Amino acid sequence: MIIAERKPLAEIKAMISPYKKILIVGCGTCVAVCLAGGEKEVGLLASQLRLALGLEDRRVEIGEITVERQCDVEFLTPLCDFIIDYEAIISMACGAGVQFLKQICGLQPIFPGVNTTFIGVNNEVGYYTERCRACHTCYLGVTGAICPVTMCPKGLLNGPCGGTLNGYCEVHPEKECAWSRIHHRLELEGRVDTMRQILPLHAHDRTTTPGTVIHPAYKKRYGTNE
Amino acid sequence: MSKFRETLEAGAFPVVVELKPPKGTGVDEMLAPVKPLAGRVTAFGLPDNEHARMRLSALAAARLVKEAGGEPLLTLTCRDRNRLALESDLLGAAVLGVENLLLVSGDYVTLGDHPQAKPVYDADSVQLLQVARGLSDGHDSAGLPLKGSPAFFLGAVVIPEAEPLAPQLIKFEKKLTAGAQFFITPPVFDLDKLRRFREHLPATPIKLLVSVKVLGADEIARAAAGRWSKVYSLPPDLVKDLGGKEPEEIMAGGVAAAGRLVQQIKQEKLADGVYLKAKGRTDLLTKILETAGL
Repeated sequence: MIIAERKPLAEIKAMISPYKKILIVGCGTCVAVCLAGGEKEVGLLASQLRLALGLEDRRVEIGEITVERQCDVEFLTPLCDFIIDYEAIISMACGAGVQFLKQICGLQPIFPGVNTTFIGVNNEVGYYTERCRACHTCYLGVTGAICPVTMCPKGLLNGPCGGTLNGYCEVHPEKECAWSRIHHRLELEGRVDTMRQILPLHAHDRTTTPGTVIHPAYKKRYGTNE
Repeated sequence: MSKFRETLEAGAFPVVVELKPPKGTGVDEMLAPVKPLAGRVTAFGLPDNEHARMRLSALAAARLVKEAGGEPLLTLTCRDRNRLALESDLLGAAVLGVENLLLVSGDYVTLGDHPQAKPVYDADSVQLLQVARGLSDGHDSAGLPLKGSPAFFLGAVVIPEAEPLAPQLIKFEKKLTAGAQFFITPPVFDLDKLRRFREHLPATPIKLLVSVKVLGADEIARAAAGRWSKVYSLPPDLVKDLGGKEPEEIMAGGVAAAGRLVQQIKQEKLADGVYLKAKGRTDLLTKILETAGL
């Protein structure tokens, strides 16, 4: 899932300073799981803003709403009529959601309430770690399901760098070296020879932004353009 | 063919001494060892933004060394360049007369003095060796033909004290396959560890240079405080001997130890040559060579 972190209150407050009627729009999927932008966090931010603005004697109306996913047109279309009354929107979704909400129904200025950080996993409550860089070329089949592009800070494709210290990473000394783990895992799986294959230069042309994927079954409908 | 390659292939124990490209444009200090040592050593190593700290272009420094009468061994790191820049710098090195190359991934940016810089790593060291070999074969990494192809002597790094060693050995094999013609180790202080590493080397002979380093007072202090975190170990006796002494005494002790190491490496044929890291100082380098009987 997408992991995000709430922006500092001062930054959000500064962004909305010219407006008197603001809507905070939460997103009920990834950012809700990572406790950054779901319904509860919308409520928390609304309360913080009301208090902070109240202390400055500023009267600002703050509305709250949370949709299932801001990255999905199906959930945004019904929102458009509702948000039209507000002067500005704070979207608590990831960067994709913020942009899509504006594209689908935003006439007014929209501001991000979170910083989107990475594609990762929910280890346990409040503890999320990165796993995928969405690099368009998945190597997990030859690396024992440990991603070298993500888990090695250098994204090396052909083995450990010279900085590995007792199996730990030179850049993040508290983390195991991705390539030590890959080697260990391939050894356990009885296919360490996989690591002897030289992986070629990564095809970065596939990662030229912005990316578009059209499902093969829909090629006729969408052609090659978004 | 470079003098370094000729010496190494003839089994004549080349000595490479590392110079320190300056942070700035004052190059006199960097070049100072070239004239006095050019007749005594084989080549001069030019690190490329070593430890991710920004310094004068190693390629420019290599050319200056050549003009001053020395033969350069240029390090090229994947950290700071994408494949276009790597390839054009490789071609640039060739036309500037730089044949000896040490191709490395490079220390990560957050460990250096520009921690917010974008790390590149478009290629890793194995891939860069393949790219360089491709250029020598007359084509770039996109498969396009070159008008005039470079001649290189390609080197790579190997870590004798890597822990775990097995993945490092696989990478070493990949570097060999990719075109590495010689290898250089990080500094070695414990020769038993080097001896044990040699048992893992392939039957096919490879050319290995061992780095020998003069430690600074800060490094000894770190080791004495139990905060040593490098891919090479320091013998406790050396740390005990030098710990707590004045910086110049530590330097002198380090130089003597380095001289003895070089001598022993040569005598026991533990390596085919050495790469001396002595802060790029002529006095220290001269003393090491004297102690080693070179």
